[in-house]
Amino acid sequence: MSPAGRWLARALLANLLPIGCLALVAGLWHGPAWAWAAAALASTLLVVVHTKRLAGWLAWLDSPQDSADSGYPAARGASSEVFLKLMRRLRHDARALEAVKARLRSFHEAMDAVPDGLVILDGGHRIQWHNRAAEAHLGIRRPCDGGAIVEQLVRAPGFAEYLGGADATAPFLLQSATARPRLYALRVVPLGEQHKLLVSLDVTDARRVESMRSEFVANVSHELRTPLTVVSGFLEHFTDDHMMSADQRRHFARLMSDQTARMLSLVDDLLTLSQLEAEDAPASEEEVDMADLLAQLLAEGQSLSEGRHRLAVSCQGPHLRGNRKELHSAFGNLVSNAIRYTPDGGDIAIEWEVHDGNGVFSVRDSGVGIGSEHLPRLTERFYRVDRGRSRDTGGTGLGLAIVKHILLRHQATLLIESRVGEGSTFRAEFPGWRLPRAS
Amino acid sequence: MSDHLSKQFDLELENIRTRILQMGGLVERQVLAAVDAFSTGNLQEMQQVIDTDSEVDSQEVGIDEDCTLLIARRQPTARDLRLIMAISRVVTDLERIGDKASKIANMSRKLHLAGGQRIPRLSDVHHAGQLATDMLQSALDSLARMDLEAARHVIGRDKAIDAAFNAILRQLITYMMEDPRTITEALDIIWIAKAIERVGDHAVNIAENVIYVVSGIDVRHSAAARKQADSA
Repeated sequence: MSPAGRWLARALLANLLPIGCLALVAGLWHGPAWAWAAAALASTLLVVVHTKRLAGWLAWLDSPQDSADSGYPAARGASSEVFLKLMRRLRHDARALEAVKARLRSFHEAMDAVPDGLVILDGGHRIQWHNRAAEAHLGIRRPCDGGAIVEQLVRAPGFAEYLGGADATAPFLLQSATARPRLYALRVVPLGEQHKLLVSLDVTDARRVESMRSEFVANVSHELRTPLTVVSGFLEHFTDDHMMSADQRRHFARLMSDQTARMLSLVDDLLTLSQLEAEDAPASEEEVDMADLLAQLLAEGQSLSEGRHRLAVSCQGPHLRGNRKELHSAFGNLVSNAIRYTPDGGDIAIEWEVHDGNGVFSVRDSGVGIGSEHLPRLTERFYRVDRGRSRDTGGTGLGLAIVKHILLRHQATLLIESRVGEGSTFRAEFPGWRLPRAS
Repeated sequence: MSDHLSKQFDLELENIRTRILQMGGLVERQVLAAVDAFSTGNLQEMQQVIDTDSEVDSQEVGIDEDCTLLIARRQPTARDLRLIMAISRVVTDLERIGDKASKIANMSRKLHLAGGQRIPRLSDVHHAGQLATDMLQSALDSLARMDLEAARHVIGRDKAIDAAFNAILRQLITYMMEDPRTITEALDIIWIAKAIERVGDHAVNIAENVIYVVSGIDVRHSAAARKQADSA
């Protein structure tokens, strides 16, 4: 027998047996007419009871919170089983719904953790869903922008055409109009029949690296080419012109050797840089006597300046732990920069002191100064504040890049303060643990 | 936006809104490029700004025509009517901003071609330009979202731009007093600064129109109405 059949039999037995018994007793006692009357009365009662119970359930279904404190209306009789089963089904569904919700939540969390912006658009380009990165990239806000048309929020010229167009092979480049512009590559992928997925990728850094690399190659070839052109020009002169006087010959030879010296120093600087880049830490470290190093820097500075500047040295700090050769090269670069960019008669102060527990080496000059827009790019290779001037003074354009690398290897930071026309201060701050306590 | 019986009407309204916001995006780019070109002296960028101005003009005409057609065909009422009216006003503001951008580019070109920089390219001008484009962007965002709060915020920011303009003016006056030869150059820079300041004013107009659409209160030229809108 099927479960439904069993239930039917039980319900019939439970409901009809009392009525049948009642009718039988009444019939035996008073006759068949009474038997029918008793049966009819009992049936009516049964219908009334069932209807009342149904009404109770209906009321509970409409507003469950108003009914009795147990939460469920009393279920008695054969229908209680139906009711219990319904309850069980409901509870099961609620649990399944909760599980699905939890999965959806964790999915949303995962999508929010993705660094790329994701936006799902419907056929009318309305925003159906987006993750957190998309908010930062495209300026979409949650939750007020749900259902908004994406072209109304991303208004960059050309974006609407890109979104509407069929060919999505090349990404659309979106530049954010903030104080620090960032560049995003947007790509549209069809999603199902009607929907579209808009993916945004932050390519600011990639672009910068790319442009720096190509600039670097262009710069190296340019820097090498200039002296080479001079040298080859003179060589041509030598072979063609036999009437040259000895004086002239000597003069040309000197110019040529100047140029080759420049090329040599450039190649040396390039090699130093690549060597610095190849290893993370200096080969050997020792305690460097800063007083001695500063005296050496002063002597070198004076010979470079040839008495055109007033140089002052003040050493008030302890020894410094590091690679002497590298530190000498870094500090020497800073000093020679100061001399080269300070007009005759200017002041240059070289100092070594302890400040807030950190060792601070600083070079202050009263030179031409550097505009604030150049400061962030100053340590880039071949970056020139003024293209015309710096090459005349004999720089390779790599000095500060070398300084930055050496300081990085000594866990030091380079701070540059400068005002145009008033001079600059270059400070190298070394962490406290590089200062030996003994001295 | 509210649902209409005619889906087509909804679509047309949204289309116009999208188009005006797109035009706003173009104008925004124009101002930014013009101010950038002023600072960097990039002649090519200046020329591009001047050339793109006709594109802005043609978009203005197109959107205006769409507004007229929509009013004639659909007879919008209440909020929809306010939206259409506001859009046709905003379109004029945007076109003016476009004109200002090309004016900045023109002046920058003139300055650049004249050569001989006696006055450094003030970073204050660039800063004011940033402020103005930020305001314009916020105003357009508030139009896209119909965001009353953001619109009010834009109106409040106009003071900062006025202050920046006055600072530039004072600086230029000192240059002119020190050396009369700088006067021509200083006057040109004043024109540029004034154009930037006007961009801010137009952004305020756009924000006022957003308030008008959402709350139905016209806050132009009236402090009392502005208060009423603030409490709305």
